[in-house]
Parts: sequence; structure tokens; C-alpha cells
Amino acid sequence: MPDLVWFIVRRLFAALIVMLALSLAVYLVFYAIPADPAHLACGKPCTPDRLEQARHFMQLDQSTLQQYLNFLKGIVAGRTFGDGAAAVHCNAPCFGYSFPLARPVTTLIMDRLPITASIALGAAVLWLLLGVSLGVIAALNRGRILDRLAVGVALLGVSTPSFLLGLLAILVFGFWLNMVPVNGYVPLTESPVDWAWHLITPWIVLAILQAASYIRLTRSQMLEELNLDYITTARAKGAGELRVVVTHGLRGVLVPVITLFGLDLGGLLGGAILTEKVFSMQGLGDLLISAVGQLDVAVVVGVTLFSAFLIILANLVVDVVHGVLDPRVSHG
Amino acid sequence: MAEPVLEVHDLHVTFSTEGGLVPAVDGIDFAVAPGETLAIVGESGSGKSVSSAAVMGLLPSNADVTGEVLLDGRELIGLPNDELRKIRGNDIAMVFQDALSALNPYYSVGWQVAEAYRLHHDVSKKKAHQRAIEMLDKVGIPDAARRADGYPHEFSGGMRQRVVIAMALVNDPRVLIADEPTTALDVTVQAQIMQLLEDVQAEFGTAMVLISHDLGVVAEVADDVLVMYAGRAAERGTVRDLFYRAAHPYSLGLLGAMPRVDVPPKLRLTTIPGSPPTPGSITTGCAFQPRCAYTDRVGERCITERPELTPRPGEGDHEAACHLGRRPSDV
Ligand SMILES: Nc1ncnc2c1ncn2[C@@H]1O[C@H](COP(=O)(O)OP(=O)(O)OP(=O)(O)O)[C@@H](O)[C@H]1O
Ligand code: SF4
Ligand SMILES: [Mg+2]
Repeated sequence: MPDLVWFIVRRLFAALIVMLALSLAVYLVFYAIPADPAHLACGKPCTPDRLEQARHFMQLDQSTLQQYLNFLKGIVAGRTFGDGAAAVHCNAPCFGYSFPLARPVTTLIMDRLPITASIALGAAVLWLLLGVSLGVIAALNRGRILDRLAVGVALLGVSTPSFLLGLLAILVFGFWLNMVPVNGYVPLTESPVDWAWHLITPWIVLAILQAASYIRLTRSQMLEELNLDYITTARAKGAGELRVVVTHGLRGVLVPVITLFGLDLGGLLGGAILTEKVFSMQGLGDLLISAVGQLDVAVVVGVTLFSAFLIILANLVVDVVHGVLDPRVSHG
Repeated sequence: MAEPVLEVHDLHVTFSTEGGLVPAVDGIDFAVAPGETLAIVGESGSGKSVSSAAVMGLLPSNADVTGEVLLDGRELIGLPNDELRKIRGNDIAMVFQDALSALNPYYSVGWQVAEAYRLHHDVSKKKAHQRAIEMLDKVGIPDAARRADGYPHEFSGGMRQRVVIAMALVNDPRVLIADEPTTALDVTVQAQIMQLLEDVQAEFGTAMVLISHDLGVVAEVADDVLVMYAGRAAERGTVRDLFYRAAHPYSLGLLGAMPRVDVPPKLRLTTIPGSPPTPGSITTGCAFQPRCAYTDRVGERCITERPELTPRPGEGDHEAACHLGRRPSDV
């Protein structure tokens, strides 16, 4: 076990470094965009005086490096723009302040996150179960009808655009059959049943699309796994077929599957842009898209960094799960 | 020979492949008694592993198996998988060539030995773990209680093979099939592992089928030998029959190919010229004919008529499948 703890500490440290480098890159890229947030805030008509005032207030009159350092400091200690009665506070962790929306970016993200997380997590559980079990069934029935069926479903899944399937699902189940709500979001805390009911269509749509690559990966991995010597050993020991497949075969299959899963989930948590659009849900993807439309750089930077952070976090979790699943990784 | 525990009669294994039928094993017989060792020797591809897999019922579904495999007189061929499962690892166990790939990298060695025990005994995990440690200790793994929590990759090649042996012997099987158990190991470790196998065999009275390329090892540990060529028996007999009275040109070739320290370097390693035929490619006559140095003395018959096993002088049931009546060395 200490092996594993040390392994996690090392990975955490590496993740922190990557995060820092990434934040600098994102910061520089977006602040190089010739959209002047001060100009937007200053309104029309904008006198040079007021523009200067706005710049000062938004701390845009400092050097880029200084701005970046302010940004970092804000994450740890919070920030205050201006002073006196007009002062605007952004509490730690402050990932910037949206002057157009007059809210700290952190608050904006936290408001939207539950929606995106609900979509992503529910769909993820579904697609993992669906993908792995269909993949295993396909591998065990290699060349037979069940295999062909699963491979066909997978092919269909990877080649269908998500908005198309989403719109179709809304059309059929929402409008024609009138079975499920067509849009909107009900918080989990308000009514778990309504929450799930409003999410069921996006979950299924996303799950079907994502499961495709899991079916293919699980199938090919399982076929390889079943040819390995230790599978023969398990049979020679007297293990039944179910035990051979689940206890001895699946472990090796899960290692690459979990990698893919972590990255997919990490990416989706940063905003399921198309799905949110199709199902009119105000998640992170929606936040990012409107921020881009309004040139709200602070929000764009904040959400981008947050998404990147989730992906790095997902990588970290994947690494740790690898360490737990595969003793050759953690007991090096 | 004492009453055999495992008997194989007229075993045929035919694979259906895209390239047609492959008769990998084409009618072999052997038997092994408790405490005794039967060695199966022969070049690569002669059907040794396929034969042992057939005994275990471990062949892929494209294999057609006929003949008899009797364990204590009970027919195993055609048994439902559920019945076979109870026999595998319990009555007949296997030791494989490459212990690293034979062990599951994701589980501790103690878990894997304990699993073999739990599959055939209704005991708690704790009890099974105890038993695993006992077994690991018995096969010579130092500090077994602690090492049981280690993973295969943390062990040396020799220690890994000990783990595999512990796993095979944990249920005190009647028959142990060892398929080239030392090929993947260093020479010194090879000797240790063979010694271990002999020791446990003596202690438990296990019948052993030893598949080996190494005639030196065979001379040392085997009681009986079956020489296989192209899926058939070329010769069988006691170990002395083979080493002192080899009757088949192929056996002689193998003996000549054996590296020996007591023979001057120049005479060492006279490998048999040519290579074995692919299964099924020679349907009439003797499969060894294209490579045989003695076929001239026999003539036509070697090409037209397939030689069957016939009795030869020696201890007990010495037999060889060759048209050459006398011992090749006397010709
Ligand atoms: N699944 C299979 N399908 C088709 N042919 C097979 C299959 N398994 C084995 N064979 C063929 O059967 C023959 C015998 O193989 P086998 O593995 O028994 O040889 P072997 O005597 O154990 O050789 P080695 O000393 O290399 O282990 C080979 O020609 C091989 O190609
Ligand atoms: S039968 Fe003929 S070819 Fe075959 S081994 Fe004997 S002498 Fe050689
Ligand atoms: Mg073999």
C-alpha cells in the first residue's frame, strides 16, 4: 500500500505542474485576443477618460505577467477590484470576474456545473455498463449473430452525429409519443424523480453514442485477453467459464477501458456543448458558448481552464485507478 | 508397471482450420502409473502440447478429439464441461512452460494458489490462503507468508515456476502434466525445478507426464518415454529401452542431437537434417522417410506402407514404428 500512496503523491505533483503551465498558456492565448473587455464595459459613448478608468478598475492597465499573477493569486486568496463603495469582491477561489454578467466566474461555473455533471455522470454510468457488457458479449460470441449485432450497433453509434440522434429522440419520444419532457432541468435536490425524468433522453442519446467506442474497445481487448496463457491456466485450474471471463479476463480489459472512460468523462464534464444545446439545458457548454458570443474573456478563460482542470483531474484519477487495477504499475 | 492412473488410447486430434483439416495428433497411446513419470519427447510441432491439452479437455472448439482418455478407468472424452471442470486442477493439474505468462499479473501469487484450492474445496478464503502459504513454503519459496502477497512480476523466473508448481499441486492431483516446465529457465534453476518436481512427486505419489525437449532431463527423471513424430508415436518403451536400445531412426537422431558433456565437441549436436512435415502432409508411408538415413536399407515400403508400432527387444513393452526389423545400429 505505501507504494500506492507514494505513486499517488508523485502523480498529484505532476498534475499540479501541468495545471500551472496550462493556465499560463490559456491566459496568454485569450488575452492576446484583440477584444478589449474594458472597451465593452465602458459602454457608448466611451470617452478616453472613462476607458482608462475602466481599465484601471479591471486591472487591465497592468502588465500581462502581473495580470496573470493577479489571476493566480485570486485563485488562492480571492481578489478585489476597485475600492471603497464601488469595490467588487471575488472570493477565493476566484477564477476571474465577469463584468458583463457582474458575477465571479467561479459562481457562474458552480451554478452551471450541476446541470452538466448530471448529464455527464448519468450518461457515463449508462454507456460504461452498456459498452462493456455488449463488448464482452460480442467477444464471447465472436463471429456469431450477437457479435455482428453488437459490432453493427457500435458502427452506427460512432457514425451518427450527436445532435442528429438527440433531435430524433426529442422528436419521437418527446413530441410524437409524448413520453418524456423535451427540455428543461429540475435540480436533484428538488425532485430526484423529475431530475432523472428530464435527463433520461440526453442520457440515453449520449450513452448510445459513447457506448460505441466502448463496445469496440472491450470486444477487441477481450478477444486478445482470452488468448493469453493465464486464461488457459485459469481453465486448467478448474475455473468455470464465467469465472474465467469475469475474474481473469475482465481485469485486463478494464485497464484500457478505464483510461478511455476517464478522458471521455473529463471532457464531457467540461461542457456537453451540443447535447446542452439540443436539450436546451444551461450547463457549462452553454455558458461557454454565450461567453464567446459576448466576448466575455474572463468567463471564456475561466471555463476553459476549468475544463482543462477536469481533464487533468480525470487523467490523475485514471492513473490512480491504473495503479490499483494493475500491480505492475504501482508495484514497479 | 503398476495399475495406471491415466491411460490414453488411440487419441486423435484434428483441427478444422481455414486451410483444411489438420491432424495434429494421429493415434497415440500412453499410460502412466502413480509415482511414475512418462516423458513425451519430439521436435517442435509433433503434437505433444496438443495431446496434453486433449487430456485436460482444454482444446479450442475447432478441435475434434476421438479415442479414449481414462482417468482411473473413467472416460473423460465427451464429458460435459461441468464434469471436466471438477477434474481439471483437482485430479489432473498442469505446469506450463512460461510461468510469467501462465500467472495472472493482476492477482497476488497467494491469491492465485488459494483460488486453485477454493475451486475444489468449500473453504473460507482465509483457510485457502493458509493452505496457499503452506504450499508456497513446500515448493521452496522463502518467507512464504509474506511473499504470498507479492505479484508475479516481483518474482524471479525460478520462483515463479515454483508458484505455478504450488498452484498445480495444491489439490494433491493424481496426475501432473508438465509441459516443458524448465525451458524458460537458466540451467542451474532448471536443475532445481526438476529436483523439486521429483521430490513432490515422490512425496505425493503423483503420476507425471513430462513433456520435454531435453533428453538429459528425460534420462534422469523418466521411467517411460514416448517419442512422437508428426502426431504419431515413433517409439515407446522404458527410459533404458530408448537410451540403450533405440529402435527408431528418429529416436537415434534425437539422441545424436542431445548435447552431451562426455562426447568430444566435434561429435556433439548432430541435429537431424531437414525439418518435420506439417501435420497431414504425408499420408502414405513413413512420415520420417524424407529425413531418414536408413530408408535405403528398407526401400519401397517406407514410401508405400505406413509403419505401425511393433514389439522390439527390451524391457516390457518396447515398441517402434519402423520397417527396419533390426536395430539401426546393428544394420
Ligand atoms: N488451434 C490449432 N489450430 C490448428 N492447428 C493447431 C492448433 N494448435 C496446434 N496446432 C497444430 O498442431 C501441431 C502440434 O502442435 P503442438 O503444440 O502439440 O506441438 P508441440 O509438440 O507441443 O511443439 P513444441 O515443442 O513447439 O511445443 C502443430 O503443427 C500446430 O500447428
Ligand atoms: S520406416 Fe523407413 S523411413 Fe521410416 S523410419 Fe523406418 S527406415 Fe526410416
Ligand atoms: Mg508444446
